[in-house]
Amino acid sequence: MVGAREAVARVGEEPDVVTGEGAPAASAPAGRASAGWKVLPIVEGLVLLIALVLPWVLQDYLTVFATRVVILALFALSFDLVWGYAGIMSFGQALFFGAAGYGVALMARDLNVTSILLILPAGTLIGLTASLLLGGFLLLGRYPSSVIFVSLGTLTGSYAADRLARGWYYLGGQNGIPSIPPLTLGSYEFEEGPIYYYMVLGILVVVYLLCRFLVRSQFGLALAGLRENEQRIAFFGYKAQHLKAIIFAVGGTIAGLAGSLYAFHEGFVWPNMLGVVFSTQVVLYVLFGGSGTLIGAVIGTVIIEGVSFWLSDNYRDVWPIILGVLLLLVIMFRPLGLISFVLGERERVGSFGKAPKETGNAAP
Amino acid sequence: MASTFAAAFEIVSFGAIIVLVVLGLGIIASMMGIFNFAQGEFVLLGAYVTYLAYAHGAPVWAGMVAAPFVVGAIGFVLEALIIRRFYAAPIVAMLGTYALGLIIRESVRGLIGGFYLTVPEPIGGSIDLGSVHISAWRFTIIVITLLVMGGCYLLLARTSFGLRVRATLENPALARASGISTPLIYGATFAFGAALAGLAGALIVPVFSLFADLGIRFLIQGFVAVMVGGVGSFIGPVAGAGVIGTLSAALPWVMSPVVADVLVFVLAIAFIKFRPQGLISGKGV
Repeated sequence: MVGAREAVARVGEEPDVVTGEGAPAASAPAGRASAGWKVLPIVEGLVLLIALVLPWVLQDYLTVFATRVVILALFALSFDLVWGYAGIMSFGQALFFGAAGYGVALMARDLNVTSILLILPAGTLIGLTASLLLGGFLLLGRYPSSVIFVSLGTLTGSYAADRLARGWYYLGGQNGIPSIPPLTLGSYEFEEGPIYYYMVLGILVVVYLLCRFLVRSQFGLALAGLRENEQRIAFFGYKAQHLKAIIFAVGGTIAGLAGSLYAFHEGFVWPNMLGVVFSTQVVLYVLFGGSGTLIGAVIGTVIIEGVSFWLSDNYRDVWPIILGVLLLLVIMFRPLGLISFVLGERERVGSFGKAPKETGNAAP
Repeated sequence: MASTFAAAFEIVSFGAIIVLVVLGLGIIASMMGIFNFAQGEFVLLGAYVTYLAYAHGAPVWAGMVAAPFVVGAIGFVLEALIIRRFYAAPIVAMLGTYALGLIIRESVRGLIGGFYLTVPEPIGGSIDLGSVHISAWRFTIIVITLLVMGGCYLLLARTSFGLRVRATLENPALARASGISTPLIYGATFAFGAALAGLAGALIVPVFSLFADLGIRFLIQGFVAVMVGGVGSFIGPVAGAGVIGTLSAALPWVMSPVVADVLVFVLAIAFIKFRPQGLISGKGV
């Protein structure tokens, strides 16, 4: 019955959709748009195509840089799942990223383990464990936690971990853990360069597809409902807190995977990786690119890191200010991020109804 | 005995600094429902204004008097231009104020470079109490904190302006219907919170010296203090700040500073989890 009412409401709202973001999909009648031509796969295909040919076009040192960006995109994906889909503001996503980084760095330093077959599962597991613990504590419980509490709780967790790493001699203090040996597979060593790049890109594509499947599934639908109206989802009989804890753990797992790749790629870990710097960095990527679309997170990472790399020679001091201004403009006038210039609202949400206006929205 | 007294003074003096920083944050969070991530940068701006006055030959105390007015004015303008758009969504407000803070912080960093700039204490020397010497300036900070706290309380509890602020907090629609200009009240409250941050920055700059990350240092401690104390009242955040400030200053005396540092946060988050309304619940003053 509710479904029927929803359908009626949707028909009533169609004019809104038509006057949407001016994307081709939005200009078609709503019913046909979901069956016909879509922008999202085209954008995704384009990004993948560019990513695939990049090492042939770029010089070697730029390929190394591109590898770092791909790893950070993986990290951004983890945050996008948590914030963009479930509406949980995790201001401490770097905690899982950095914890996994530190964990695998210690494995390499103290146990001489560098095999990719052990390192990546270990990093993933560290991310999963850490996010289950923190997420379980912050999200579960007799009373649902407020969004403010969760966001400040994750922020504080990340900040506390940063302080701990800075002061703990075993973890290398301020300097972190330097000179991590390269990742190995049998006797092969993954050095920085095209091979590492393609390996990381392959992981990103696999994780991306898994996430895409997840958010388009029944579970993803429940998540989107959680983001839009938590109370209604609870009335439908979902355990909203459990859903949140699960997606938080999935996000933490991906962040852990990204963190272990990052540690071995850079060759060192340092306290910032755990702290507020990286936590807020990933928020910037996702907001800028467009939260609630997986590809938006990737695009945001590429643009911010790319421009920052490009400007860092001449405009090092001005760039963070420009970044702040751009971010403020995006939050105020384009709350759905850059991707919303090409992607219609209907397609962003998927084929299950229209998102209300509040989605990460800055409008008063 | 003497060392105990010195330790107690250190603890109280640090607690006072945290209270001073949290006052503005707490007023904005309680009265407007916004967790202002740019608050740390308002502290930084206050410190910067004081430094500017000193660098241009004016006495330090003149800079300290000017700082709250300058920062309050900046806060008023920012509220009218930007913050006003965020009232509907508290999370977006966090992100927006974070971006604002980033802009301010990096601008100041560009202006002062990566240096630590020192500003002398306007009241130097020490107060001798028998065998104990306590810093005169830190003592002054404690006194000023007490005065400002009392002043804020009186302003919110006893004046008609305070009544309007509380009315706007409790029921904005009814407040508007009663002829209170709620946008103006929000603007004034935000400016007042910013001015308090500016004052805090001006007073602590001789103790910590001026560097771009000065504000960030206190921001998370401030948030935790507000949550521990309880959002919604004036007294709550102040009490929370007292607790957090005292704990963070006292624990390093009995255990390793690193553990103490982290323990304060863990204890605070656990406390908030099991008592979400904070130490002092309820709205009002």
